[in-house]
Amino acid sequence: MKKILSLLLVAAVCASASMIGLDALGEEQTLGGMTSTAGRGFAGGAKTGDAEGLSLSNPARAAFDTKVVFNLNFLIEMMAAERHGQYFGTRNVSLPSFNLSFPMGSFGTMGVSLWQSYASVFREEFQDSIKAVNAKMEYQSSVYEIVPSYSVRLPVIRNVSLGASAHIVMGNSIRSLTLGPDNSEVSDDDAWATNKAKITDYVSGTWELKNHPAYYTFALQYRGRMASYFFSYTMPHTLLNDLNYNFRFSEIDTLEPNRHEREIKIPATLATGINLRFKKRNNVMMDLQWRAWDEDVKNIGGSYSLDDITETGDDILASIGFQRDGSSLYYDPYWDRITYRVGAWFKQWYVKNVDEFGGSLGAGFPLGRKGTIIDFALQGGKRFVDDDHNWEETFVGIRLGLMGIGNWGQSRR
Amino acid sequence: MKKRHFVLLSCLAVLLSSCIFDTDDSTLSRWLSDQGLPDSYKVQTLSVENLNVLSAETFLDTTPRSANDRAIWGHQANLLHDLVFDFAFIDSAFFADLKKSDSARALIALYNLRPFYSSKNYPSDSLPLKEDLDIKVSWKLDAGSKKAFVDSIGDITDSAWYADLTGWEADGSADTSYSLSLKAKDTLVKLDLPNALVESMKDIKKACHLQLRLSIPEAARAYRFYGAETDYSPIFQVRTLSDTNFKSMYPFRMAGLVSNEETCSDCQVLHGGVMDSLVVEFSSKEVLAALEEFYGDDFPYVIGDSNDVRQAVVLAQMTFARDDSEGFSELGKPIQVVVGSFVDSADAVVRKMEAYDVNRKLVDSVGHPNMVFYDGDSLSLQVTYGLRDFLNKASDGRTFKMMMRLGYPVLAPMDSLYTNYINDKGDSIYVFFSHFDYARYDFTSMMKSPVTLKLWLATKRGDEE
Repeated sequence: MKKILSLLLVAAVCASASMIGLDALGEEQTLGGMTSTAGRGFAGGAKTGDAEGLSLSNPARAAFDTKVVFNLNFLIEMMAAERHGQYFGTRNVSLPSFNLSFPMGSFGTMGVSLWQSYASVFREEFQDSIKAVNAKMEYQSSVYEIVPSYSVRLPVIRNVSLGASAHIVMGNSIRSLTLGPDNSEVSDDDAWATNKAKITDYVSGTWELKNHPAYYTFALQYRGRMASYFFSYTMPHTLLNDLNYNFRFSEIDTLEPNRHEREIKIPATLATGINLRFKKRNNVMMDLQWRAWDEDVKNIGGSYSLDDITETGDDILASIGFQRDGSSLYYDPYWDRITYRVGAWFKQWYVKNVDEFGGSLGAGFPLGRKGTIIDFALQGGKRFVDDDHNWEETFVGIRLGLMGIGNWGQSRR
Repeated sequence: MKKRHFVLLSCLAVLLSSCIFDTDDSTLSRWLSDQGLPDSYKVQTLSVENLNVLSAETFLDTTPRSANDRAIWGHQANLLHDLVFDFAFIDSAFFADLKKSDSARALIALYNLRPFYSSKNYPSDSLPLKEDLDIKVSWKLDAGSKKAFVDSIGDITDSAWYADLTGWEADGSADTSYSLSLKAKDTLVKLDLPNALVESMKDIKKACHLQLRLSIPEAARAYRFYGAETDYSPIFQVRTLSDTNFKSMYPFRMAGLVSNEETCSDCQVLHGGVMDSLVVEFSSKEVLAALEEFYGDDFPYVIGDSNDVRQAVVLAQMTFARDDSEGFSELGKPIQVVVGSFVDSADAVVRKMEAYDVNRKLVDSVGHPNMVFYDGDSLSLQVTYGLRDFLNKASDGRTFKMMMRLGYPVLAPMDSLYTNYINDKGDSIYVFFSHFDYARYDFTSMMKSPVTLKLWLATKRGDEE
C-alpha cells in the first residue's frame, strides 16, 4: 500500500497528458496500459500463460491461468506538440491500471481491474507581460472503471473458454480557467473597475454510466498448441457527465452553478486477436480492435470560442508484436529468464483525423524465485493530425509494471 | 528495496522529462487560440439609464441598545435619545442613615465625551453648548434583603433587560431642570436628581435595584457622554446625614432608548448613528431588457436549472441624483453611505455588505462618490455582490434589492486609501472620524429621480457571437 501511495504522490506532482480531445473525453489508455501488453505493441490479447493476468479486451483469457496474478502499472509520458513550426512540451505521470486475478481451478477465474480509461489532464500557468495577461488553466478529468470479470473453461471442450466482465464507470472532471481582465473594449476611464479582478471559470462534474450500473464485455478464447484466438464484444453504452458551470471570484465567493449534463454515446467494440507460438517460447501475435462511432462527442465547452463538439471517426487499434518468454527455471542464466518483447501499433483515435503510430520495446525481469516480475516498456510514436486546431504530438513513454504471481489456494504438489 | 527503485526511477524520469521539454508562453498562447480557449476574460461595460425605484422603505430599530461605551442623550435630527441606568447595591448602614436624614440629596454625574468635544474635527464655533434643560426623571425601584437579591439582578441578561425596557412603566417620576453649559475642556455634568426619588429610597432596608431613566424631550440637541463600562462611568451619589456622609454608586450597565419623531410617513429619511436603513427595490425588467439588447441573448436565462453563468458582474454601480438641502449634519463633514445587497446564500436570502473598490482617478480629482453632504449632485454606490446574484438568479422573477445607511463622517474625502492609516512620516491619517454624526438625511427626492446602473461584465461568449 505504501508503494501505491508513494507512486500516487509522484503522479500528483505534475501532469499533462495528450492535448488532443481535451474538451471531449481526453486520451484513452489503450488496453488499460498494461506494461507487458504495451511492450509488445498492445498485441497479445490471445496469449495465455501464467504471467499474463487479466486482459480488458479479452476477459476469457484468465480462465487458463493457474496462479493468482497481481499487476500494477505505471506510465511516464513525455510529449511534444507541434504546429505552425512551434513546439510545446509537456509530460504526464499516471497509474493507468491495476489488476488482480484469482483462479479457482475448474470453477473458473475471478478478476478485478481498476482502469483509468480516459483522462484529460492539462495544467499550465501562462504569463504574457506585453499583453499583461496572467492565466492559469487546468483540466483534470478521469473516467475510471472498476471491472470485475469471470471466465471459465468449457466442460468438454477444455481448450475453449468463455469470459465476461462488467465495467462500472465512475470518475470526476474539473476544468478551471483562472483569468485576468482584458480591458481592450473598455474606455480608459472605466478600466479602474477591473484592475485586479481575477475570475475563475470553474466547471466540475462527475462521470457515470447512463441508466445502467455497468456495461459488459463478452469474450471467447480458444487455446491451441500453436495458435490461440480470441473474439470479444463490448456493449455500446452512454457516459453521463454531470457538470456544474460556475464563476468563482474566490473559493468562497461564487455564483449559483448552472447544471448541465452531457451524454457521450460510445459504440460497441469488437476485438479479435491471434497468437502463434513457435519453438516453445517464441510468440508472434496480432490484434485488432474496432469501434464505429456514429455520434460526435459533446465537449465540456461552455462558450468562449471553444467547439461544442469533437467530431468522431472510426476508432481502430491494429497491433502486431513478438514475445520471447523467459525461462521459468530458476537455475537458467538470468538473461534467459528475462522475457523480451517488441511490437508496433496503429491507432485511429476516436477524434476524427487523429492517427497514432507507435512502437515499443519491452522486457520482463524476474525478481527472486517467488514469481515477482518487473515489467519495463519503452515506447515512442507520433500522433498525426489533420484538422484546424489540434497539434501533432510526438511522444515517448516509459512504462513500469509490477507483477506478482502467487500460488494462493493451491496445495504443494 | 523494490519500492525504493520505483520511487527513485519515477523521480528521475520526472526530472529528466522536465529538462527535455520546456513550455514556452508564446507557444502556449498559440495553442490556446487554436483551441478557442481564452487567456483572459473580456470586460464590457453597460449603462442602464433611467431606472425607476419600485419601492423604498426605511427601517429604524428602536429596541434599546447598549450605552455602556458611548452614551447619547438628548434630541437631535427628529430622534429622541433617552438614557437608562441600571444600579444594584446592598448596604444596610447607608439605608439606615438615609432614613434618618432630613437633608438627603441625590445627584448623577455624567462625564462628557471629551475626545469628541475637544476634537479639532468638532466645529469649535458651536462651543460652548448652552441650554436650559427640562429633565424628566423616572425610575423603577425594587427592594431586597439579601445578597442573593443583588446577585439575581446581575443574572438578568442584557437582552432580557433591553426587552424589559421597551415597555417602561415607572414606579415614580419627577421633573427637574438644569442649566447646561458645556465647553471643550469641561469634564462632567452634575445633575441634581429630584427629592421624590430620594424619598422613595428611604423605605428600603438593605438592598435595592434602581433603574433610572433620564429624558430631555425638548432639548435642542443631543449630548455625548461616557458609558458605564468606560473608565469615566457615570456616578450616582446620595448624600445622607452630612456632606461627608454619602454613597457613590456606578451603574453596572446603561441603555440608550431611541424614539422616532419623524412625522412624514412617505419620506425616506435616514439618521446617523442609529443604524436605520433604507431598502430600495428596483424592477428587473429594464436591466434584463438592456442586457438582452447588449448581448443579443435571451434574458432571463431559462435553460437547465436556469442559473445564469454566461457572464459575471465584475463591478456594478448605481448612481442616484443627490440633493443635500433637506439634510442636517452636526459636524459639517461628508458622511459615507454604507451599502448592502440582498443575496442568496445556502437557500436563504441574506443581507451582504458590499465591498467598495476605489476609483483612484476620480477620488484624486473630486473625492469619493459614495458620500452625502459633499460637493456634487450625485451619489454612486457599488452593488457588485447584489447584481451578481440578481443576474445569476434572475429567472425566478426576482427584483433587485439594496440597502443603504449612513456611516461614519469622512475627514479626508479625497484620500484614495479609504481607511485610517499611518503615512510615510509616521503620522496617523484618519480618513474616518471615529464618532458618528447624529445627522439626518432625506432621500425622498433621490428615490423619485431616475437612477443609472453601470455594469462591468465578464463574458464567456466567444468571438463569433
